[in-house]
Amino acid sequence: MIRSLPIILIVFSLLTDSCSTRIISNNYYQEQKGTVDSIESHYEKLNAIKPFALAFTDKELNILSIEMISDTLTRIYEFNIAEQRLGDTLLKYNYDTSGIHYLVRKMQQTKVTWINSVDYYVNDQPQQLIYLSIKPVTIRYLFSPPKYIALGYFRSAQSFDEKGRLLDNRRTKRIRKIKGQVFYKITDRICYTITEKYR
Amino acid sequence: MINYRILNRRHKYILFPLFLSIFCVEKSLASELLSKTRSTKEEALRFIAQIDQTKKSELWPNVKPKLFYDNLKLNLENPESFYPGRSTNFCSYGAISYLVMEKDPLGYVKFMNELFDKGEASFNNNKFKPSKEILQAAGTLKFKGVLDIRHAEQVWFFVLADKFKGYLNFFDKKYHEGDENTFWAATNLSKFDRMVNRLCGVHVSAVGSDLIKPWVKDVYSYLKKRIDSNTVSLYINNRIIHKKNHDKVKLSIPTHYIILRQISKQGDMITLRYWDYGGETEMQISGRTLKKIIFGIITIDK
Repeated sequence: MIRSLPIILIVFSLLTDSCSTRIISNNYYQEQKGTVDSIESHYEKLNAIKPFALAFTDKELNILSIEMISDTLTRIYEFNIAEQRLGDTLLKYNYDTSGIHYLVRKMQQTKVTWINSVDYYVNDQPQQLIYLSIKPVTIRYLFSPPKYIALGYFRSAQSFDEKGRLLDNRRTKRIRKIKGQVFYKITDRICYTITEKYR
Repeated sequence: MINYRILNRRHKYILFPLFLSIFCVEKSLASELLSKTRSTKEEALRFIAQIDQTKKSELWPNVKPKLFYDNLKLNLENPESFYPGRSTNFCSYGAISYLVMEKDPLGYVKFMNELFDKGEASFNNNKFKPSKEILQAAGTLKFKGVLDIRHAEQVWFFVLADKFKGYLNFFDKKYHEGDENTFWAATNLSKFDRMVNRLCGVHVSAVGSDLIKPWVKDVYSYLKKRIDSNTVSLYINNRIIHKKNHDKVKLSIPTHYIILRQISKQGDMITLRYWDYGGETEMQISGRTLKKIIFGIITIDK
């Protein structure tokens, strides 16, 4: 047993360290640009009327968690998307039922696992960012964590450094982290990161 | 020569109470009990109205007086508004704020005003003298949601995390930039109980632990029985109900503190209504999931 310990350790370290999850496509956003952008704009319109967030909580993207947000209360419910209860609940709380059903279908097709609106402040004034995560096709090894592509859609142009990293503002060189992650430039308004958590 | 057999035996006696404190099953804290409420919102608002709210404090260079005093007024008008920030480990301090505002709003405002003016103050006989790193950090948090512009809450959360320490903070006791998201700000169950007891001066009893779930047969009935006559806080594994990845195997550890407001049952589905992050959340879960997520039930006298 002791003799084989180094081999066990080497195999274990290979499994945990070097075999990190690999995303098959390096160009996921460009390939899916049209659909992903339309999901974001569709969500932006619906969310402006009545705020909400959507997440698929299972691997097959059939179980939907919906957060219905009001000033005083956030309701969190989980449904199978085929269930009638989803539509009934949306109707009960005056959400655009057909608009959200359309969004859910599009998210499922494009493997968007989470969409939410995130508030932040510039010069003490509120700003909004739409945050969505995509579950890409990956090669995953034993013990390696999952990987998601997270996209941030800002409403105005942002500042980036020479490496394309998102900055707090034009004047400082401080890197702005969203949920503890460094984001990289796609366009001056859209940025991305690779993360182990979809929200 | 050291007798290792005796030493080992003695170690067992030392380790046993240590493990008990970490994996405690049930305990209560009851020192310095105070009357139900010590002051009212109106008294606190009258106090704040007579303060010069434009004065800057050189001790807190990044705290803006307007944001600081506007935030204190908001805390008084709406105690549910306390927001511990996105991706931070301040959730336990948020839950405590809620309890403090129920008991002593005037004490809170006086304490915060003195802390802002002098850089040190006492709350319910607990002396707070934040380190220079904390004095610098308050007012600088970014991308934490509305906490970015809540400068009084930043001061409050930072001084609480700086003052109260538990074993989770053992390797990270001194604040460095970004530590609000790390073990520096984390809170284990006994630290939470101690903070509630010392800041609110109320009787606190808890079942559960940091690693082992409470030995309660019927969690729903246990909570239902206590919620009307006490304030109930739960120490939960938020990763199960607020999934962050699609892996089926998840580490079973508690991650979040909430204040339970209502609980009801229909069939096997349990509806929870609780306070966290600046507002109330309503959620439906099964009885099995409820048992799975709860690691600590903290019962606090009203």
